[in-house]
Amino acid sequence: MWWRQALIIGVLTLFATIVQVTLLSRLGLPGATPDLVVVVVVAIALTMGPVDGAIAGFVAGMLVDLAPPADTLLGVNAIVYVVIGYVTGRVIDPRDRTVPILIGIVGLSAGFAVLGTAALDALLGSERVVWDEMAGMTISTVLYALILAPPVVLGVRWLVARVTPEVLVE
Amino acid sequence: MQSRRTRILLAVLVVAALTFLILDLRGGQGPFSGVRSFGANILGGLERGAATVFSPITSANAWWSTMRDQATQIETLSAENDRLRSELDTLTNDKARVAALDGLLKVSSVGGYRFVPAEVIAVGPTQDFAWTVTIDAGRNDGIEQDMTVINGQGLVGRVLKTTASTSTVVLLVDSSSAVGGRVATTEEIGIVAGTGQQDQLDFQLLDPNAVVRKGDALVTFGSKGGRPYAPGIPIGEIVEVKGTPGELTRSAVVRPYVDVSTLSVVGVVTRPPRVDPRDSVLARSSELPVAPSPAPLGGSGATSSAAPNQETPATKAGAKKAPSTQPTAPQQETAASPAPSPGTG
Repeated sequence: MWWRQALIIGVLTLFATIVQVTLLSRLGLPGATPDLVVVVVVAIALTMGPVDGAIAGFVAGMLVDLAPPADTLLGVNAIVYVVIGYVTGRVIDPRDRTVPILIGIVGLSAGFAVLGTAALDALLGSERVVWDEMAGMTISTVLYALILAPPVVLGVRWLVARVTPEVLVE
Repeated sequence: MQSRRTRILLAVLVVAALTFLILDLRGGQGPFSGVRSFGANILGGLERGAATVFSPITSANAWWSTMRDQATQIETLSAENDRLRSELDTLTNDKARVAALDGLLKVSSVGGYRFVPAEVIAVGPTQDFAWTVTIDAGRNDGIEQDMTVINGQGLVGRVLKTTASTSTVVLLVDSSSAVGGRVATTEEIGIVAGTGQQDQLDFQLLDPNAVVRKGDALVTFGSKGGRPYAPGIPIGEIVEVKGTPGELTRSAVVRPYVDVSTLSVVGVVTRPPRVDPRDSVLARSSELPVAPSPAPLGGSGATSSAAPNQETPATKAGAKKAPSTQPTAPQQETAASPAPSPGTG
């Protein structure tokens, strides 16, 4: 049921994008903003496989670039998230599906998202990136992602098992 | 077979993203920009709804960060309090004077900016290094691109993009932001540029021999037609001067009055004042004690919104201690201390 997968991907990425800019970034937490979007993309990739992961990454990236007050070039996050969605969906070995490894993958992906987006932005001529703060931003993003990972991965897994059990990666 | 399809899909997605990227990089105004503004419109509407749902949480956060700030400030404040207490006695015990000053504040704050109030509903993620926020007023409310955005403390930024119901504001501290600034006391002008860090601006003076001092206040110089920046809006105060007079470039570090991490209600200036208010908006605090008899100006006991915020700590401090009359000399010093304070709000 392709439309059920599309529905899950659409709803989850849209929800994550909106929550991120209207709630998480306004909490004024120290360091970076918790990157719920990348955690959701990785959770989809881990539960639905690399193809759905890549699609979710594309959709999420476009939404993040479109949602006000974003002022990046359209597509920057999409490229980074497609790669993350595909690679995390592919790299996971069914025998390795232990909780620490899953959470670790989410953390690494979040760190990669920050660095990848900043590098791409810089390559495309953005002068916004403050490299002095890069280390702190990456570390705090990874930490927040590690905190967000267990509930989000479990939640997405539960949702996928209910809505489209046939695509669930065991 | 499966992996072949996967690879094709992956290639399609990456190429699609790259296509968007390249089209956007070229900055075309074709059908593509319509797609983008359509998407931004839809998402902006959703953000408005979500902000309403989350408003109890986000306002609680504002409260919490205020509490947290207060905890760290108590130590410095109590030390400062002791020093200021004697200075403030004569000023704050004079209730009639305070009422008159409120009136004066009101008069001077009628700088003539006409603005549309709006609330911040979404903020860009910190790791994007883009200091942009979304506000809940858009084209339907008369907001247009490049309008000035202010709040009670001073300059917030300018409108970057608008949708029907929301606008994106690029904040003063964003590294793409540059404002013409003027030192209030010496009339020296220069460019105030964002550094991407939230409590720091870079002020490049045009005259390499200009004399600027730590603590000097900056106001906007004003652009032609009041866009993107209306004149006379407080920007911040100089905290560090770099270089010596006569050097080729002369710059200073400026701390903005507006705390971008706790933005909530802002005003978008839809019509700049007919006459440049010069330093009058700043002067509302520094002129107070030297005004000889403000009673006729003050008139009504109406309190302006800005006044109580600045006067409250003083009133509390004064009320605790028994009134002890002092010579009026310290008042001149007091005049200086409230002036830089608007940023701490």
